[in-house]
Amino acid sequence: MNKTQKSAWFGLVAGLLCFAVLGHVFVEIFIWKKLPEGFFGLLAYCLLLGGAFIFFRRKQSASEVESDERDDLIKKRAVIASFVSVWILLAGVTVIPRFVIGIKGSIPVWLLAFINLGVLLGVGLVYSVAVLVQYGWGSKDGEK
Amino acid sequence: MAKSEVKNQIRRLRFDNGEMTQQKLADATGVTRQTIIAIESGKYAPSLPLAFRIARTFGVGVEEVFEYGGEE
Repeated sequence: MNKTQKSAWFGLVAGLLCFAVLGHVFVEIFIWKKLPEGFFGLLAYCLLLGGAFIFFRRKQSASEVESDERDDLIKKRAVIASFVSVWILLAGVTVIPRFVIGIKGSIPVWLLAFINLGVLLGVGLVYSVAVLVQYGWGSKDGEK
Repeated sequence: MAKSEVKNQIRRLRFDNGEMTQQKLADATGVTRQTIIAIESGKYAPSLPLAFRIARTFGVGVEEVFEYGGEE
C-alpha cells in the first residue's frame, strides 16, 4: 500500500468520523433544540483528526518513491470525480428541502453552514473512495 | 483500472536478469512497486519515458519489452 492509498484510507475514515460528529451536532441543535454537551470537545476532536492527517502525509523515508505517474493519474481522476460530486451534492441539497419543508418553507441561516460543511466532507469522501476504487481497495492489485 | 492494450515481457525479463525483484526494478525506474505490479499484470500502460526507462534497465529495446496488443 503506497502513500496515496494510505492517505485515501485515512481520509475516508476521518471523513466518516467527521460526518458522524456533524450528524450528531445537527440532531442535537436542529431536532432537540439544544447545544450538545461536549460540543467544543467534538470540535477539537475534528481538528485533531485534521492535524493527524497533516502528520500522516509527512515523508516517511528519503529513498522511498512517494508518488509516480500512475498515482498522479489516479489522483487526477479522483479530483474529476469529486468535482462532479460537488455539483450532484449541491443539486441534491438544493432540491431536497423543497420536498421536505415545501416550496414556501424556510430554513434557519445557520443550516447553510451545515450544508456547506456536509458538501465539503462529502467531496472529500468521494475523493478518497475514487482513489481507493482505482487502486482496488488496497487489494493485492496483481501482486505475485 | 481496466486491462491495457499493451502487453509486456517484464516478468520474463526480470527473471532473465538474475530474478530481479519488482522493488529493484521500481527503484531503478523511479516508480513505486505498485506501479510495476500494475504494468506487469497489464492493468496500466506506462508513459513513453517510463517504458524507455524500463527497457534501459533491462538493456534491451522498448519493443522487446512492450507490444501493442490492440486491433491492428
